[in-house]
Amino acid sequence: MSGPNSFIFNFKAFVYRLVLPVILMTGTVGFAFSWYFEKKIILKTSISGAYKVNRILTETYPDEIPIFGSSRAEGGYIPDSLGPAYFNYGLSGTKENVQLFFLEEECKKKKRTPYIILNFDLDGIGYGGGDMANYIPNANIPSVKALMGEQYRFSFRIPFIKYYGYYELYFKYFLNERMNLTKYSNKGASIEKDVLPVQKFNQLVQERKNSQTLFECNSSLKNRLFSLILNHPERFYLFVVAPYHASYFEKYQNLSEATIFLKELAGIKNVRIFNFSKVTYPDSCFLNTTHLNYKGAVLFNRQLKDSLAQIIR
Amino acid sequence: MLFNSTEFLFFFPIVTALFFILPAKVRWILLLAASCFFYMFFKPEYILILAFTIIIDYFAGILIENTVGKSEKRKFLILSLLANIGVLAFFKYYNFINGNLTSLGQVLGFTNKIPYLSMILPIGLSFHTFQAMSYTIEVYRGNQKAEKHFGIYSLYVMFYPQLVAGPIERPQNMLPQFHAKQTFQVDQIANGLNLIVYGFFKKLVVADRLSVYVNNVYGDIDNANSISMLIAVCFFSIQIYCDFSGYSDIARGTAKCMGFDLMVNFERPYLAQSISEFWRRWHISLSTWFKDYLYIPLGGNRVKRPKAYRNLFIVFLVSGLWHGANWTYIIWGGLHGIYVILESMTHRIRNRLNILLRINRARTFHTFLNRMAVFILVTFAWIFFRAPGVDQAFKVMQKIVSFDFSRNLTIISAQKGPLNLFLSFGVIVILGCSYLLPKNLQMKNSALFIAFTTFIIILAGKDVGAEFIYFQF
Repeated sequence: MSGPNSFIFNFKAFVYRLVLPVILMTGTVGFAFSWYFEKKIILKTSISGAYKVNRILTETYPDEIPIFGSSRAEGGYIPDSLGPAYFNYGLSGTKENVQLFFLEEECKKKKRTPYIILNFDLDGIGYGGGDMANYIPNANIPSVKALMGEQYRFSFRIPFIKYYGYYELYFKYFLNERMNLTKYSNKGASIEKDVLPVQKFNQLVQERKNSQTLFECNSSLKNRLFSLILNHPERFYLFVVAPYHASYFEKYQNLSEATIFLKELAGIKNVRIFNFSKVTYPDSCFLNTTHLNYKGAVLFNRQLKDSLAQIIR
Repeated sequence: MLFNSTEFLFFFPIVTALFFILPAKVRWILLLAASCFFYMFFKPEYILILAFTIIIDYFAGILIENTVGKSEKRKFLILSLLANIGVLAFFKYYNFINGNLTSLGQVLGFTNKIPYLSMILPIGLSFHTFQAMSYTIEVYRGNQKAEKHFGIYSLYVMFYPQLVAGPIERPQNMLPQFHAKQTFQVDQIANGLNLIVYGFFKKLVVADRLSVYVNNVYGDIDNANSISMLIAVCFFSIQIYCDFSGYSDIARGTAKCMGFDLMVNFERPYLAQSISEFWRRWHISLSTWFKDYLYIPLGGNRVKRPKAYRNLFIVFLVSGLWHGANWTYIIWGGLHGIYVILESMTHRIRNRLNILLRINRARTFHTFLNRMAVFILVTFAWIFFRAPGVDQAFKVMQKIVSFDFSRNLTIISAQKGPLNLFLSFGVIVILGCSYLLPKNLQMKNSALFIAFTTFIIILAGKDVGAEFIYFQF
């Protein structure tokens, strides 16, 4: 049984007994599971980045006022505290290139309300795609693929396998939204409820005091932002700087440049700036030196609502 | 190349398919080329170190066999051992010894002027040098004929499944297999694939999951409490087992698919009822290496008791040092040495006590207590193994005995959220259930097992691309 015939016989047995059943079983169950998971878990969880990307690309709500930004937006703005029409599109770990993508998609839509809220981070304008989990369900769309950059993998297009390593994350978002165990969720917002132990918080403050902060501005992104605003005068852009812990400014190198940038923006007719960066909140309102916790977010949203009332009626 | 990399996903089936397509006579060329490619994926230039030891050991083996006098044979053996140990000592222990000399100098008042060398440890160095040494020793002892075929000998050292993290094979097991003609057999491939997917399950689902918690706690010991510290040390015990035994399973599986049998390296060690039994189940290829080539030559247990204990202690200290050039590993080895010696010393007393108290050792509860005791002792020793330094290890112990049982969810979940903690316990339960499978993973419905395990891996696996812990050794 060791000649070429036995090899062919064994190879056939290998294919029929092992390869085909494994492919069939994994493929069928995996494909069905993946489809169900995508439809019922990922795209049904408003705080998941993947849902937000999918929502901006595929859904239009004419009266919705979107809030764009990074984790500071995601964990700082409570839509229902501001009004019934708001939705928080904040994506943690992302930078302005992603926020521009959202803004560009938003500007393509025909809306009854012109307002768009953009959280502005004082570390400047730069690139950062954040977690790939935000993009996988829409990885076949070229503009989304571009956001994934070098981290794009061909496997992101294969059903079931494409979510390898990410199932837990999506499920975590799903549970967070439904159970509100450690986070408070509200229309895309996901805000940390826990307060850090004092010792840990003080350690973070100390680290912040020892590290330099810089405002860095990528000129091509800046140009993209300005031309987008100028090309869409029908929309009204409300730039908000959410509060920072006082220690954030201790080693800030070039705050003046951030101020100049904001002034430049304020010079545009359909732009308003709301700067809460130096509003003093107690330590218990912060998750860390750059992010608010739930207590801080409630306080901030109350103040923001009052400020916005001057414009949005 | 990492087993848990995309490259390996293509490398393995291509090499295996080519292996069976090619005529048996030239298969060694394919395997050797594939092994070189596999190794050079990490740091290509280090293949020269392997080449150096391979050449020396190949000729040493032939010269040992061809020389008549015992003392002449010994000369060639020493030459081979010096070359292997020299390479190991230079790359692994040079900076460690130098650092200790500097510390000693500070105490005794002299300045150590020997420079530090900036170098990366060649991957799997301790594994392949030990495997190479076992060859020349066995030839010297007359248990193995010198291998005349240079390619086959090179393959013995470089065989890619076990090149970087073992099992540390013996020439008697591997060389005849490299000469034999391997045939394509479905059952054999099915068994190999079972081992591979089970190994990946252990690594990607269990070890990498637990590493998230462990790394977070060990990375910020100051902010841990007794609960999180205890969970972390227990998790590490399971993490290192799954990481290393997972690698061994994948290695055995890949070799098995091509018809080669590698030795079993782990036999469910946490089911051991004594520390000596634990060492018969843990990293078996290294334990037996030390037994055959160090413990027995030192006199083993055929000497007076104090000397036998000394021999045991030496073996465990060297075993600790084998793992890494750090005092933490030496303490880890020393602790196990003390455990085994104490176990041996109290053997009679414990037996008498059992008779006196009418304790039935075969009873489930007694077995459970024994296993728990072994797990606690081994886990305690792992603290030194995992901690980056001795002071950190003591900090870990300090945290545990501080009895800070505050129920802060952020601290207890190591700031990674309750879901991660829940899943960590969940995968341990699945691992426990997997113990119901046949030990050698030979089963009738391999396709179902492979499909189900693959499903679990894709669903619950961590995509962190983490290296195997034992790669650093």
